[in-house]
Amino acid sequence: MIPARFIWADLRRLWVGSTVVVLLIASATGLGVAVNLQERALRLGSARAAEGFDLVIGAAGSETQLVLSAVFLQLAPLPLMPGSILQKLSADPKVEMAAPVGFGDSFDGMPIVGTSAAFIDSRGHGKLTEGRIFRQISEAVVGAKVKLSIGDEIKPLHGLPDEGGHTHGELAYAIVGRMAETGTPWDKAILVPIEGVWRVHHLVDGHDDREEHEPEPASMTSIRIGPPWNNPPGVPAIIVKAKTIADAYRLRAEYRRDATLGVFPAEVLTRLFATLGDVRSVLAAIAMTTQALVAAAVILVCTVHLSQRRKQLAVLRALGAPRRAVFGLVWVEILILVGLGVALGVGLGYAGARIFSGWLSATSGITGPIALNLEDLTLVAVLLLIAAVIATIPAAMAYRQPTSIALRS
Amino acid sequence: MPSVKLRDVQVRIAGLERPVIDVPQLSIDAGERVAITGPSGAGKTTLINVLVGLERPNTGKVIWDKIDIFDLNEADRDGWRAKNVGIVFQEFHLFPGLGVLDNVLLPQQLRSFRSSAEHRMRAIDLLRHVGLTRLDQDAATLSRGEMQRVAIARALCTRPSVVVADEPTASLDKNSADAVTELLVDLSGSLGATLIVITHDSSLERAMTRAIFMDRGFVMTSEGNV
Ligand SMILES: Nc1ncnc2c1ncn2[C@@H]1O[C@H](COP(=O)(O)OP(=O)(O)OP(=O)(O)O)[C@@H](O)[C@H]1O
Ligand SMILES: [Mg+2]
Repeated sequence: MIPARFIWADLRRLWVGSTVVVLLIASATGLGVAVNLQERALRLGSARAAEGFDLVIGAAGSETQLVLSAVFLQLAPLPLMPGSILQKLSADPKVEMAAPVGFGDSFDGMPIVGTSAAFIDSRGHGKLTEGRIFRQISEAVVGAKVKLSIGDEIKPLHGLPDEGGHTHGELAYAIVGRMAETGTPWDKAILVPIEGVWRVHHLVDGHDDREEHEPEPASMTSIRIGPPWNNPPGVPAIIVKAKTIADAYRLRAEYRRDATLGVFPAEVLTRLFATLGDVRSVLAAIAMTTQALVAAAVILVCTVHLSQRRKQLAVLRALGAPRRAVFGLVWVEILILVGLGVALGVGLGYAGARIFSGWLSATSGITGPIALNLEDLTLVAVLLLIAAVIATIPAAMAYRQPTSIALRS
Repeated sequence: MPSVKLRDVQVRIAGLERPVIDVPQLSIDAGERVAITGPSGAGKTTLINVLVGLERPNTGKVIWDKIDIFDLNEADRDGWRAKNVGIVFQEFHLFPGLGVLDNVLLPQQLRSFRSSAEHRMRAIDLLRHVGLTRLDQDAATLSRGEMQRVAIARALCTRPSVVVADEPTASLDKNSADAVTELLVDLSGSLGATLIVITHDSSLERAMTRAIFMDRGFVMTSEGNV
């Protein structure tokens, strides 16, 4: 096909301009695609992270703080609830599972979360990929991405991961199991019996109605763990699974007064994403403005290019090429550039979103699926359609230009 | 074979008092070889543009074999030109980046999408005839003389009945100019085509059968010179 070679020769001759146009279009498209992909990944990723946390109950305070800490492990010092609430919830017939979560220690930057075996059963579809659940106070189960092996022993460091502090000499945990990957911050957490956390912080172990006392390290292994608890110490949050949806609503209402706070994490997330949605529309507007600016730049480049080609196109017509062919040449050439740019842009956007998402997952533990879907295809189709329409302007200019210039210099 | 008659042709430019060309009557017979001469700005290029339908005159008729080409719509006029006219430019206007053979075939292929095998054969023959054998050589790398010879092959490939050339030898050295003159005369002669050239080159002018001298838009003399 000689016309194809003609177009190729023209693009090659003007390769600097062509490359700039392709890159401009690619970056504008890439920005739009990346914003879409990342927003979707973040939304799906955090929704996934909230799965299984039907109802979270904490001490009265900030709902967002509670959800961020208990669900996303973005740990902040939470006020404690009296232990009696845990006891009461455990005994409530509306409750299928009530697991305490307690924080305060870390190892190698990873949070150590105290909880009960029932909670581990309810996470990650109840599957351990390795080993078994903890059975005594000095055992721990790790998240999928924790770089520790079964049999390793760790000494907790007092304080949240980024606070630092002293190690607790009195207690060490042996890793006995590993949970399946969930794509949530829990993949990087170390789960231990809540009694360990209480004990480390010199609280009673919750199975004992005597006065608070300092336990002997040697006696640690003999302590019973898990429910039922008796006079347990305070906990920052309790994860509750209700028997029915109605029960969940009833429980939330019940624990939404006085000193406690009951929240549906999904609901808090929805509210959070409403705010994020505004950020997204700002980003989308930026992407769109960029695309418009790029479109303007591309039109300008095409017009300049066309004015340099007026003679050549007139010569073609003088030599017998029909008008529609001249129109087609200009139109196809622009669309090739736009098509290349958009394709490259989708690739760039995808790669960019992957990189950002990798960083996000490394820092927050939230892994969102980066995948192109129909929405992105629509964006691509719309961009190409707009380009197809805009390209008719220079093409029409070429179509309408006088033929007499072929013989004039 | 077509002959052409101009009647009361005037081309005016807005803002100019005098018409660029003013030709009440002019006939060129089929198969004639015509040299158009005259000072710069005399209207020579404008006359050729009008003759082959590239520029519409403000008034008058241009009749090729009973067809007034300005009665045709633009697409039909393009079609008429594609079928009947071959054009050679002073600055060749080859398409750089394309091979020599592609240069010859491109205009027709834009019209009919596929060039026929016959068309291709003729292009190759013509290129050989004008002395070019490397058919895929990039046109941008040719010498100027070679460029004009490719342009002649391109103009004659469709077997036009009229060949027009605007100063085809003006930017060539003497040897190349003579070769181009010879090819133009030979090839249009073998087709029986009418040849119309604008030229200041006396040897090209001598190879024609008739000279038209123009000045300030008028055809001053029009005489056979055999
Ligand atoms: N579109 C136009 N706008 C303004 N002036 C024009 C236009 N077309 C032609 N002219 C004028 O008409 C006159 C004749 O132009 P033309 O190109 O036909 O001359 P020419 O005889 O071919 O000259 P040359 O030998 O220099 O090529 C010139 O004075 C030119 O400036
Ligand atoms: Mg001229």
